Amino acid sequence: MPKTILLAWIAIAMLSFGAKAQQQEPWNSNQLVRPSDLAAKIQKGQADNLLIVNIGPDAVIKGSVDIGPGQDAENIAKLKAHLKSVPKYKEVILYCGCCPFSKCPNIRPTFKTLAEMGFVNRKLLDIPKNIKVDWLDKGYPVNE
Amino acid sequence: MFALHTSLQAQNQPLQKGDLAPEISLLSPDGRPVRLSDMKGKLVLVDFWATWCAPCVGEQAELGKMYTDFHAAVKADKFEILGVSLDKDKEKWVNGLRKYNITWPQTSDLQFWKSPVAKSYRIEELPFNVVVDANGRIAAINLHGEPLYSFIAGQIGSVSITQSNPTRRSAKP
Repeated sequence: MPKTILLAWIAIAMLSFGAKAQQQEPWNSNQLVRPSDLAAKIQKGQADNLLIVNIGPDAVIKGSVDIGPGQDAENIAKLKAHLKSVPKYKEVILYCGCCPFSKCPNIRPTFKTLAEMGFVNRKLLDIPKNIKVDWLDKGYPVNE
Repeated sequence: MFALHTSLQAQNQPLQKGDLAPEISLLSPDGRPVRLSDMKGKLVLVDFWATWCAPCVGEQAELGKMYTDFHAAVKADKFEILGVSLDKDKEKWVNGLRKYNITWPQTSDLQFWKSPVAKSYRIEELPFNVVVDANGRIAAINLHGEPLYSFIAGQIGSVSITQSNPTRRSAKP
């Protein structure tokens, strides 16, 4: 019986820790978009209803808007200005790709900005390594 | 056919210690040619970086300290640091050099990941560096922090370490 209680306590603690760890990021797993899925939409011409926004080093993704690194206050202002006339229900996909999420200084301030502005359909491109490895090297569509 | 396949495979393989360092022949911020081959005879730390790469920017202060500590070796033509930027925007690159107080030679083709130099060094992510020996061969790949400092110090000899870093010097056997 004590063993069961101990196991239950450990399970609760782990679940609580997991939930806490996820809460630390301004996005949840449902708001992450896989590069392969976005690339497929662009390739099939199904990306017209999306607003794809670069908040990193370069707007390499085809059709994306170039705002610049989100860690700079001036680029946050630029992002706000660009989104001012965009409907709040529009699907907005941010991407950086400078480096893994854990090291990226750009994604958090910009994703929070989208939330503060009330964009309910805000997304983040899930780039595990960088834009080179996870987009360019895969031959996905690029801005010429 | 087999030879071609092997050759293509070799081109995709990461560089190894002992390989000849691919030539870097680009321009400095003020438009002067900068060539790695012109530095033959020196130990050269080739630092691939960009102002958009936060971990790279974080490393510049350490490189600055190294450049100061090994100043005697730089003066004696034994050591150099060559920064190769994967920036795309010249203004950001030049502003970054000023902002991070980078005083060692710098070069870039401003082509971001399309840079042929990034391809020839098979770079998959930044920061990335190689140490090139006096004969133009790669002596170390992707060392950072204290291991990089110790490696450079060991290669150029403790005589080059100036008084500016007595703690680090006395810590060595």
